[in-house]
Amino acid sequence: MSFELREHTADVAVAADGKTLDATFGAVADGLAAAMCETIPDDGDRFSFAVQAENREALLYEYLADCIYQRDVRGVLPVENRVVVDRTDDGWQLDASARGVPLGTIDAREVKAVTYSEMRIERDDESWNAYVVFDV
Amino acid sequence: MDTYDADGITLERVEEYIWEIPQEGEMNTPARVLASEELLDQIADDKTLQQLKNSTQLPGVQQHAICMPDGHQGYGFPVGGVAGIDAEEGCISPGAVGFDINCGVRMMTTNLSYDDVQGHEEELVESLFANVPSGLGGGGVVESDVETVEEILDRGVEWALDEGHAVEDDLAHCEDEGRRPDADPAVVSQKAKDRGKNQIGSLGSGNHFLEVQRVTDVFREGVADSYGLSADQIVVLIHCGSRGLGHQVCTEYTREVEQAHPELLDQLPDKELAAAPAGSQLAEEYYGAMCAAINYAWVNRQLIMDRTRQVFERVFDRSWEEMEMNLLYDVAHNIAKKEDHEIDGEERELYVHRKGATRAFPAGHEEVPRAYRDVGQPVIIPGSMGAGSYVLRGGESSMETTFGSTAHGAGRTMSRTQAKDEFWGEDVQDELRGQKVYVKAQSGATVAEEAPGVYKDVDEVVRVSDELGIGDTVARTFPVCNIKG
Repeated sequence: MSFELREHTADVAVAADGKTLDATFGAVADGLAAAMCETIPDDGDRFSFAVQAENREALLYEYLADCIYQRDVRGVLPVENRVVVDRTDDGWQLDASARGVPLGTIDAREVKAVTYSEMRIERDDESWNAYVVFDV
Repeated sequence: MDTYDADGITLERVEEYIWEIPQEGEMNTPARVLASEELLDQIADDKTLQQLKNSTQLPGVQQHAICMPDGHQGYGFPVGGVAGIDAEEGCISPGAVGFDINCGVRMMTTNLSYDDVQGHEEELVESLFANVPSGLGGGGVVESDVETVEEILDRGVEWALDEGHAVEDDLAHCEDEGRRPDADPAVVSQKAKDRGKNQIGSLGSGNHFLEVQRVTDVFREGVADSYGLSADQIVVLIHCGSRGLGHQVCTEYTREVEQAHPELLDQLPDKELAAAPAGSQLAEEYYGAMCAAINYAWVNRQLIMDRTRQVFERVFDRSWEEMEMNLLYDVAHNIAKKEDHEIDGEERELYVHRKGATRAFPAGHEEVPRAYRDVGQPVIIPGSMGAGSYVLRGGESSMETTFGSTAHGAGRTMSRTQAKDEFWGEDVQDELRGQKVYVKAQSGATVAEEAPGVYKDVDEVVRVSDELGIGDTVARTFPVCNIKG
């Protein structure tokens, strides 16, 4: 699983891939953290949260939006993001955990929000690929 | 040149500085770009024109969707985009307002001259940086609870007045006197309020900043006099928005609109343009929530201005009233407002979406504050740290050309990732210091991302605005001290 920060005139984009949807979603969230902070220390406790949505794209949007919400209300940068995605009878369920690095210990810049613009989640023979634009 | 070819999109010159993308395919109207050829070369360099074309597919768009001279690629709707959409038969789109609802700028004048400040720059920038919360997790000027947030959402700057963070004169010099009456705190979620309670009075980061500036040029003496501006004067410019609360409102309503109105979404080429039909319950709820976030943003800038007054009092050892630190005006950059405009000879109510664009009403318009009604609404155009900023006034042609709008800044030309490759924060700070500009930021990366070289030529943006008569140049300012998150 890996991610790359991609160029965007005003904002920032993350391209990520992984062997599973779980790994790919987690990699996008790690890319989101990297867009906010270059040097991430080892401290911080893990925490968990969950989101639901009606389809894959909406699930990724809800997940990343919640990463940003958790950042603001917990005062931590979510890093080392782990995700389990499940199909349910009426949609999709995502259980997430992250290590929360206290914002007071890092030099970090704000990403405002996840956007749907140009969002892609695609599967090829070997991996899942995702592309997400974030508002900075 | 009568046409301009931009990677599959052809623009026709309608008149000097006005280019049109003719209506075709799924477009409901034509689209227009207001630019010189120099600016159009930059605007055509990314996906701005495609995003502008896409925005004409929003139902109820009137006349044409418009890209301002500082336009650039955004998400869904371009930055620098303006669309007047029928408020009865059209729609309202959270994405076409943007996540940072009422991101905007206010300018405070002083009676200090540049001579008064020289020698104090270092102390001033350090003290502002220490006292004005910025960056990620930096807190706010006030820590509050959800009940206080709800009062702010409802009452806007009136709340700040009651709490001793504002004076009556501040309200008189703010758009809508600092309060959107259509605000409805009940339709702002608990999550949004939770994000908002610890960020009231904070800059955030990205392109947001607080800058002490000196007036370098006055172009229209009479108007400048009405605005309280004169050459060599010190002014303060504050650029920020509705923080996490506004971001959460847009995030949630984009999803709600997507789920409630899939039939409308199916007509649109970009999911980020998701829109609620005018008259629907969701359109009303989003409008109420957005207006509440507008109030929050005005309070946010008000508290930063209040804190800035206190910093000046300590640095210059006299009261802010003695220094005549008065609000000139506060303008919103990301907003949708119900406004009456003349369409085909009839007055109609529109949701005027301005995303990275500034309202620029001319002299005589009843919504211009009384203090400026004879000369036109002040428009504040922040430039980069190395190029200075402008004060304009709403131009005579703005109502017929742009639904009463003009540009909002210089407009980026370079991505943040490329900027960090090409610039080093400390080098940028050193170079600016050579121009007597003192910069302090939470991170060197922010300084690199916001280096003067990543922006369009603000002089050219403003020149086009002036030539078109949508925003007339009044004065130019240049940075003295700048803090950012």
